[in-house]
Amino acid sequence: MMTDLKVALKKYFGFDHFRPGQEAILQYLLNGQNTLAVLPTGGGKTLLYQLYGALTHQRVVIVSPLISLMQDQVSRLQYLGSKRVVALTSALDFHEKAVIIDHLNQYQFIYVSPEMLAHPDILNRMAHLNVGLLVIDEAHCISEWGPDFRPDYLKLGQVRQKLGQPLTLMMTATATPFVRQDILNHLNFQTAKPKQVLLPINRKNIFLSAQICQDQKHKDQTLLELVQTLNGAGIIYFSSKKQAEQVADMLNQKTDRKVMAYHGGMDHQRRFHIQQQFMDGNLDIVCATSAFGMGIDKDDVRFVIHYHLPANIQSYVQEIGRCGRDQKPSLAILLYEPNDRYLQLNLIDHTIPDIGVVDYLYQHPKALNDDDQFRVIKYYFDKGLSFESVQRVFDQAKRRRIAELSAMVNYVYHPGCRRTQLLDYFDEDVSDNDRTFCCDHDSDFWGDWRNFNQKYLKVSSTTGPIQSKDWRQVIDQLFLLKN
Amino acid sequence: MDLETLCLIFGSSTQYRRIKAMKNALIGRRTVSNLYWALQYDMLDFVDSLHGQQFGDDQQVALKLSQAGLIVVDDRLQFKLTKKGQAIHDDYTAQLLPLKYLGVSSRFDVNRFAQRFVFASQIVSEYSYANHKYYPQSLGYYDDQLLKHWFIANKRQNLPKQFHDLLRGFLSRLDNDQRAEVFVQSLIGHHFSGMTEDQLADSLKTRPAIIEIQWLQLYGMLLLLIQKHPQPNPFMQLTAGLEKPVISNSAKKTFELYRRQMVPSIDQIVAQRRIKQTTVYEHLIEAAIMAPVAQFPYQSLIQPKTFQQLTLTQPDDVANWAFDQAAEEVPGLSFFEFRLFQIYRSKTAHDD
Repeated sequence: MMTDLKVALKKYFGFDHFRPGQEAILQYLLNGQNTLAVLPTGGGKTLLYQLYGALTHQRVVIVSPLISLMQDQVSRLQYLGSKRVVALTSALDFHEKAVIIDHLNQYQFIYVSPEMLAHPDILNRMAHLNVGLLVIDEAHCISEWGPDFRPDYLKLGQVRQKLGQPLTLMMTATATPFVRQDILNHLNFQTAKPKQVLLPINRKNIFLSAQICQDQKHKDQTLLELVQTLNGAGIIYFSSKKQAEQVADMLNQKTDRKVMAYHGGMDHQRRFHIQQQFMDGNLDIVCATSAFGMGIDKDDVRFVIHYHLPANIQSYVQEIGRCGRDQKPSLAILLYEPNDRYLQLNLIDHTIPDIGVVDYLYQHPKALNDDDQFRVIKYYFDKGLSFESVQRVFDQAKRRRIAELSAMVNYVYHPGCRRTQLLDYFDEDVSDNDRTFCCDHDSDFWGDWRNFNQKYLKVSSTTGPIQSKDWRQVIDQLFLLKN
Repeated sequence: MDLETLCLIFGSSTQYRRIKAMKNALIGRRTVSNLYWALQYDMLDFVDSLHGQQFGDDQQVALKLSQAGLIVVDDRLQFKLTKKGQAIHDDYTAQLLPLKYLGVSSRFDVNRFAQRFVFASQIVSEYSYANHKYYPQSLGYYDDQLLKHWFIANKRQNLPKQFHDLLRGFLSRLDNDQRAEVFVQSLIGHHFSGMTEDQLADSLKTRPAIIEIQWLQLYGMLLLLIQKHPQPNPFMQLTAGLEKPVISNSAKKTFELYRRQMVPSIDQIVAQRRIKQTTVYEHLIEAAIMAPVAQFPYQSLIQPKTFQQLTLTQPDDVANWAFDQAAEEVPGLSFFEFRLFQIYRSKTAHDD
């Protein structure tokens, strides 16, 4: 198809330029070539399939693993102008699901969780739909959450087959060469090689730093000083909802910054208020779990601080990618205290089924249907894997996760350039690095961070105080009357 | 929602009340026992008004409030407000609208109405600025569809002006700028992101639970106002399907069947509805609790002689009269008759 993509971009979205990689990917898709795209966070992944849908008028099915965030994606697509959008997930109740399934052909963009596609009746329904483009978002989940944690993701190869092998776009923000190959293998692309568009992981405008704290108290003190001083909007990431709330309270009490906690356990309305306040510049800092970020379209986040270290380097790169989307200098800080490692190890223990439970369920297979948590075990049981094999799979998964965590810890303790270390993980070349704005190994950041803040982190003009208008003015502002 | 604040609002300095029973009434756990205690605590109007809310642990709250000298707790975990507790109760209730406006949440799903109204305001606000690029809220599939169809059907009716006028009128009539302020901060719209309950509570030096209850009361008032507006009006559709039954549907069926019978017989209902006799009793007790005294046939369900004996032997505190004690005085007394008598007495005492 010969299309002037820039004209279409202007027509549908009002932008003059594509972000790096977007045009090449669209060109491949319009030529009917399956594509694997590695685009950084904020690289404009949504626009790709939305523009494809607008140009071809075809139906687009997007498989996404993050059920809780799928509604944010629907909102985002609506925000960008598409109205025939729906999310088909287990978060819907029985009746809602039935109505949506009955009217599936009315939607052009259908978000669906891999669990939903595992239901034969839903898959059959989808198979009759004439899918123009199958998008597999967060495609790295095939490998990262892999064989043990999202068995339904592994079925996507069969799903694609059942949908009539539609044109497929696999997208991820971070993927090592091993993971990329794993994605292609699982989707049965062993022979017909899809096109690959790989954008650099490196974000040159983000300064990398980490601080090893003696204990929790030292960490809180460091955080307090940073939050009080650093200019602009920031996100602080936590592994625990409770601690996100506690630290937000502490920062509100002890600093003059406006801070709120945000996590998946909050009701929707509250999350929406906080998200909007942050985007409107009424909030300085959000203390968040990884649930925060997807629906956030804020370019001028100046810093990301990790209060807890993430489970792996991929997650870290994704999360720090939420600062500096405006390409201006920004800062990533990881605060680490040696016990933090155990918090992540506990999480690993919690997410991988205990072998005693597996043993019991193998002997009492009826109980496999009792709880959705047993889904993974049920998958292997149904597949006919022996208990010993499943044990091996889980052991291996655990070892891999521990290895990933060790890589993350090594990043903190790395005696050399952090950027080199980070990019090495993705086999990315770092030869053209700017050493004057790189990481705390190349400069005395921790001795001089206040000057760094003055020099590089600029307050954005969008930052404003929380609304203090009279209620009459608020109503006049909300509903603009035309005389 | 924070249970401490609720205990201070719904507690009494003259009557011992169980935290658990109060909590169950507010979230609408409609067992006959919970409803019975809601009747005794004069909380029937608030049954289910805080549906779906999560509360803290009863014992911890009791301990905290009693340590602060705000309540006294007896060995059955019933509490009474102290003088200091009563002062805070007075302060909290003064911050709220009259409590009857929380009662609207007992008859309508006000919370869901508020969500729909906030979403509708966002859509209309952005529309008034001709802005199509914004993050819409999402309330779930049905309400999202409802809002979508509502907007398509009504967008030619100068919605920005209608919202503007409705809210200006409604909030002016409150005659209280602070409450009007609390209301508008629940909204989201063009370059306006409102406040959460804790941000508002912080700026007004009060408790987040007070703000949450104020919101429910204000949206309850607004809902009633919309229903009284000349029909048809575009806001009416936002209230569709939100009515809650006062008596559960099944209890209502049983009660109506009983009332329609020429010669009322419980056995006949058991046979007709294919339910257990104890379930029929529970349904009738629920109906007795929820219906006005004059509309419930106490006389045909309590033997005249039993009624007379109960009247003669009743203690001052009928509400806490134990069945075992009453049964000693009135041979052959059934629990069903006993409970109906207690309900009758409580209701007529209220009427006095």
